[in-house]
Amino acid sequence: MNLIDIRNLSIELQTATKPILAVDRVNLTMKEGEVRGLVGESGSGKSLLAQAIVGVLDDKWKVDADRFHWRGQDLMRLSPEERKVIISKDVAMIFQEPMACLDPTTTIGEQLEEAVDTEQLTGFFWQKRQQRKQAAITLLHKVGIKKHEVCVKSFPHQLTDALCQRVMIAMALARRPILLIADEPTAAMESTNQGQIFRLLASLNQLKNMSILLISHDLENVTHWTNSITVMYSGQFVEAGTTEQIFSQPYHPYTRALVDSSPKANMQIPSKSRLMTLPGSIPVLQHLPIGCRLGPRCPRAQQKCVRAPKIKNFHSQQVSCHFPLKDNYS
Amino acid sequence: MFIFTLRRFNLFFFTMLLLTILSFSLSFLFPGEQLVNLTGQINATPEQLAVLANEYQHQAGFITQYFNYVSHLFHGDMGYSMASHLPVATEIFNRLPATIELTSVALLVAMFVGIPIGFFAAIYHRKTPDNIILGVAMIGYSVPVFWLGILAILVFSIQLGWLPSAGQISLLFEIEHVTGLQLIDILLSDSPYKWQAFIDATRHLILPVIVVALAPATIFMRLARTAMLEVLETHYIKAAKAKGLTFWQIIYRHAMRNAFIKVIRDVGLQFANLVTIAMVTEVIFSWPGIGRWLIESIYQRDYTAIQGGLIVLSTFIFIVHIIIDFVYAALNPLAREPRHGA
Repeated sequence: MNLIDIRNLSIELQTATKPILAVDRVNLTMKEGEVRGLVGESGSGKSLLAQAIVGVLDDKWKVDADRFHWRGQDLMRLSPEERKVIISKDVAMIFQEPMACLDPTTTIGEQLEEAVDTEQLTGFFWQKRQQRKQAAITLLHKVGIKKHEVCVKSFPHQLTDALCQRVMIAMALARRPILLIADEPTAAMESTNQGQIFRLLASLNQLKNMSILLISHDLENVTHWTNSITVMYSGQFVEAGTTEQIFSQPYHPYTRALVDSSPKANMQIPSKSRLMTLPGSIPVLQHLPIGCRLGPRCPRAQQKCVRAPKIKNFHSQQVSCHFPLKDNYS
Repeated sequence: MFIFTLRRFNLFFFTMLLLTILSFSLSFLFPGEQLVNLTGQINATPEQLAVLANEYQHQAGFITQYFNYVSHLFHGDMGYSMASHLPVATEIFNRLPATIELTSVALLVAMFVGIPIGFFAAIYHRKTPDNIILGVAMIGYSVPVFWLGILAILVFSIQLGWLPSAGQISLLFEIEHVTGLQLIDILLSDSPYKWQAFIDATRHLILPVIVVALAPATIFMRLARTAMLEVLETHYIKAAKAKGLTFWQIIYRHAMRNAFIKVIRDVGLQFANLVTIAMVTEVIFSWPGIGRWLIESIYQRDYTAIQGGLIVLSTFIFIVHIIIDFVYAALNPLAREPRHGA
């Protein structure tokens, strides 16, 4: 059974003049215990999609989906409040800038304690207080923070970014989530710290069978840590498949370009030659092309591309393109 | 925290330096003899003037004169009032507590009414409560204080007869002058009519406090509303939502404190404004405070009193400002850091 199954999820930005379709019918499926990467350029709607799943978008955004199943349960039939209860019980999210996501005036300890699920506690309220403290310390140990006395008393600005991100992960773990959505957890972090955070996430996945949706703009970076990858471009679904498939035989021209644009150590390219890139840049929200949004930049675009393509399936690899690069491999 | 305190004292020192220079230079700028302006001895004989000139080192340079003036200030000697021929320091000492009482009560009322209403408006952003509150705040801010004061007397004192219209307490009660703060003095006294006096003093306080507090309260409403809206947009509120906290938990635990920190700094700035309003209100309600005395001194061209009143009132405002800065530092851990504590 799929953990999460989303079909044709759209997110509209309500503006004064006319609504803008920021995310256009995106599909996302995840299995239990899977680590899936969600990859795309900045502004491709990855974070929006994640926030829509967790339900923290404000009133400006209108979310709509044909199907939104959570462990076989149809969430579209539930009221927003019921949906929020289910989601906040099983799904946790960590954000890009960990320091900005912690209340600057409250100590780490207090913030951790309030994240602890009340149902895990027993006894009277004075006992619960103590248990809450203990639970917070255990959580800190789980994410590899040994000096819990110092950490609990600190304010967010007294810790480093990587430590803050660990605290955020600890908070996310407090409810024992089944799915953890990590929205660029290592952006603006040094590579040693990046490695620590990724290793922590990987160990959580292996030890607790926690599924992770890893959002990143850097395809190269997530490959070591993910089982499968979904690629998005400008709010549209591009391609999904296992990490192996996406890397060795991308069917979509955009994925192809993404893979080619990242330099590798064993790459044979003449010195001072340009890396493969697509011309142009990602369109702004106010001027989105019709049909396939990659159209104006795509080397294989034809007249047909002004209509949005249907999703094609090749051996469980899904691609949304009229002219997939199918003939290149085989 | 030590550096934070040091910086406040530093600021206090330099502000006082500038204030005393200004006050000292006023004695030159006011019409008439400088020595007379400084001491307030308008009927002095030439012999007495010679003694005073010696005492204030009138023949020496400006800088020596200035330091001499400051040392007189430190000894509590601000000269004699030209109008009443009493020492200015005594006059101020008798009147300042009434002003402290009125302004501090008004500030507290303005904060405790204005800020929660502002938060409430932000929570119901762009809904009916928000619009109503914004409209009321606009009206409250636009009403001129002297008109409002007279109207309040007309309605509540004369027509309805609910509250007294003038003074600090009914003349029937005799309260010993201990701290000067009426309410505290009443509580300290052992008069058998203590509680009647207390109620009477409170009834006298209500109308002036409302009149003084109205405009600052509406400013606090708007400040609190903007601060809360800003805080509700931040990442940590979004993260708290993702953590599964309910909306009111988020408001109560995270949003309120952070929004309050943003407002509290402006409270200090608004206090100067509040004192100005209080001066006008003191005239309307015949409140025996320093503001009314200062306005009367201006009418009577009592230059010595103006100089003394200026220094004392500004010092009072500045001390409140510093106290509020400390409250701010107590609430905001970032401000306590030496790196951030500007």
